[in-house]
Amino acid sequence: MNQTASSRQESDRLASKGWLKSLLARPEIGPIGVMLLLFGMLGYFSIPAGEFSLNPFAGEGFNALGIRNNLRVIAQLGIIALGAGLLIIAGEFDLSIGSMIGFAGACMAMVLRWGFAIVIPYISFEGGVHIEFFTLIYIENVSPIGAILITMCFTLFFGWLQGYIVVRSGLPSFIVTLGGLFFLRGLTEVSLRAFNHRPDQTKGATTVTELPDMKNIINVPGHGEIEREAAKALPEADLQAILQTVPADTVASITERLAYTYQRVADAKTEIMAAKGVKPLERALENAIESGNETMVATIREKIETFTVTPVTPRTVTDLDVVRTYIDSIPSAQPVANFFGGDILEPIFDFLYFPVDWNTNNFGNQFAPGLYSCVMIWLILALICYVVLSRTQAGNWIYSTGGNLQAAKANGVPTDRVKVSLFVFSAFCATIFATCQVFEVNTADAAKGNLKELEAIAAAVIGGIVMTGGFGTVMGIIVGAFIFGIAKEAFFYIPGIDGSFYRVFLGLVIIASALLNENIRKRIMGTL
Amino acid sequence: MADNATEPLIETTGLVKNFGSFTALNGVDLKVYPGEVHALLGDNGAGKSTLIKILSGVFKPTAGEIRVEGRPVSFASPRDATDAGIGTVYQDLALNALTSVTRNFFLGREITHFPGPFGVMKMAEMDEIATREMAKIGINVADPNQAVGTMSGGQRQTLAIARAIYFGAKVLILDEPTSALGQKQQMEVLKTIRKVQKLGDIAIILITHNEIHARLIADRFTFLSLGEVIGQGTSKDLEGDDIKRLMAGGAEIGDLAKELAV
Ligand SMILES: Nc1ncnc2c1ncn2[C@@H]1O[C@H](COP(=O)(O)OP(=O)(O)O)[C@@H](O)[C@H]1O
Ligand SMILES: [Mg+2]
Repeated sequence: MNQTASSRQESDRLASKGWLKSLLARPEIGPIGVMLLLFGMLGYFSIPAGEFSLNPFAGEGFNALGIRNNLRVIAQLGIIALGAGLLIIAGEFDLSIGSMIGFAGACMAMVLRWGFAIVIPYISFEGGVHIEFFTLIYIENVSPIGAILITMCFTLFFGWLQGYIVVRSGLPSFIVTLGGLFFLRGLTEVSLRAFNHRPDQTKGATTVTELPDMKNIINVPGHGEIEREAAKALPEADLQAILQTVPADTVASITERLAYTYQRVADAKTEIMAAKGVKPLERALENAIESGNETMVATIREKIETFTVTPVTPRTVTDLDVVRTYIDSIPSAQPVANFFGGDILEPIFDFLYFPVDWNTNNFGNQFAPGLYSCVMIWLILALICYVVLSRTQAGNWIYSTGGNLQAAKANGVPTDRVKVSLFVFSAFCATIFATCQVFEVNTADAAKGNLKELEAIAAAVIGGIVMTGGFGTVMGIIVGAFIFGIAKEAFFYIPGIDGSFYRVFLGLVIIASALLNENIRKRIMGTL
Repeated sequence: MADNATEPLIETTGLVKNFGSFTALNGVDLKVYPGEVHALLGDNGAGKSTLIKILSGVFKPTAGEIRVEGRPVSFASPRDATDAGIGTVYQDLALNALTSVTRNFFLGREITHFPGPFGVMKMAEMDEIATREMAKIGINVADPNQAVGTMSGGQRQTLAIARAIYFGAKVLILDEPTSALGQKQQMEVLKTIRKVQKLGDIAIILITHNEIHARLIADRFTFLSLGEVIGQGTSKDLEGDDIKRLMAGGAEIGDLAKELAV
């Protein structure tokens, strides 16, 4: 017998991994690399032609407006990717997310536009057999929160129903939610046409427009709740009256800021005029150099050097300017609409304009008012998902449901409830997406959300979620949303390349990610 | 150990299980005592798995009675059986290879800071318990955050057994714990079983195909064939050939030898 063998323990055989190897076994490491690459591309390629900088943040992709718009795209995708990703970790799919977005947006907009009613049809025998409708409840003016809750009732129920069918029938969720995809999109179009089919409506339109700009309804002293734009368009006397209610120090700070803005705008105009004036001279200079006319070159050089424009005088700040700016700063009287559709971090973006002068466009005006609120909502949701998935009992149940369903069942994990809850959560995320959209743009369209389910799944896969379930992290889903959201922008700036190449790129990234995920999964399973 | 004066931890009388018109078990009597390894032997299809599935609450018996510590019990679900102190270690071990030792150890019974599924888990405490409990029956896990997938088959068995014991199993049912393992790991599992046996208060029902393993470790034997008990006894009662004969479903080994010689 070999004596040394017996002193060795089984646990000794697990070679302790070096830090590099354990870092490489982290599921997020590949996606984070791709994300940094895309950020670099976006930064460098968007540096305006003729300028040079080693700092990628000097590019247009990272100016205030670029950040505002890109983060919106990322956040929207990120919200639904959380729902899709958690569900995939539990071993199921939801293909109805896109249709759910369209349905939720339409439902919410219709309730806001035409109110909410519960109508019971019945067969009447008076005057020939026909169907009559009995209106049980009719609420004409539904508040934003009311519309959201009513919509949630429908969407969460539908999410539950899909989950219930999946766990009860044992059918693949792919098929059940594919049914949901068609059903919901159709239902949305049918309902929108039906509701638009009224004398005062565009017949057969599958959109809802003319919703009031809810988030911009404000309380103006003496005028009650009105839209911001309407308030700014009030008669001069009314505006003067409003100005009387504004505290003196507010007036002073608004005046200071407006003075800065007007000065900045004037400077920008001067600059533009100077550039415009010099340009023909520079062209003439080039021609002169080409033709070899030495005296001509010298004259034009001199002209360029001595070229000046008279600086534009800035506008003076009037009372009306002050009061209109004040109206812009009144907080929304509809906090719910503003929470979903408004902006966040406005004070910071104001500060970055004045006095920092970074958030300034070419015309000297403030570039971005803030970030879209959906960014904050995404981050809140992501934080909750992170805690739930990696820290709580529910998280362990989600992992085990997707990782080994039989094992989870044998240990008393309510796997059916886990799955159904995540179908409901996926519907919830789709509804949140739609809510943000409706309150941002004040319209709804039956075509909204088209293909979003596939984008959400793609973001999850790119973020390291294994399609067979049981594996992945919320951090990964976040990174996946960043990659998917930023790719289009990054490719847009590459000179001389068709913008659609971003799809080619994403396709490759998806396949590469899936291969990488499978590799990591096998390494963790110990089969590699 | 096999002291007949002690009360059996688990006892079945006249257990019958029909699947439609098929009789999988036809009146099985079984007595399992604390601190004893009770080997359940029999050919494929004899009804061993059916019997333990009834004991672990997966199937309901068609007829017959189960008593745990003298009290008649009826299990509506595996959870009921677990609560009554019957811990089953399935052939597939009911482990999620993709997550850590600790997460598997506490799967379905996580220790949390506050009740409800959204309770945050006490990870440090759970790590400590899992490591300690596995050490008790002979395995030092290097890292409780190690994925179960990276563990050997023997280690996985230990994890599953330690888990069942920690969560109050008085009767431990092991369904072919060595069948999928290599020689060395089989020995490790047997050592683990011996350690559990030595704890003294736990009864083990061991299902195996391996006569040698049974002989090495079992205190008492029950032989099943075609759903019926064809032999029962302590290791002292049974001669070597008896075990061979009974394992072959009751056919005389001599007859078999003759048949094979043809
Ligand atoms: N769920 C079931 N439905 C119908 N027949 C079954 C079922 N489970 C087991 N059987 C039958 O019962 C008999 C005993 O099976 P089992 O208990 O698995 O045997 P063993 O574990 O001893 O090999 C077999 O003939 C098997 O086909
Ligand atoms: Mg069996």
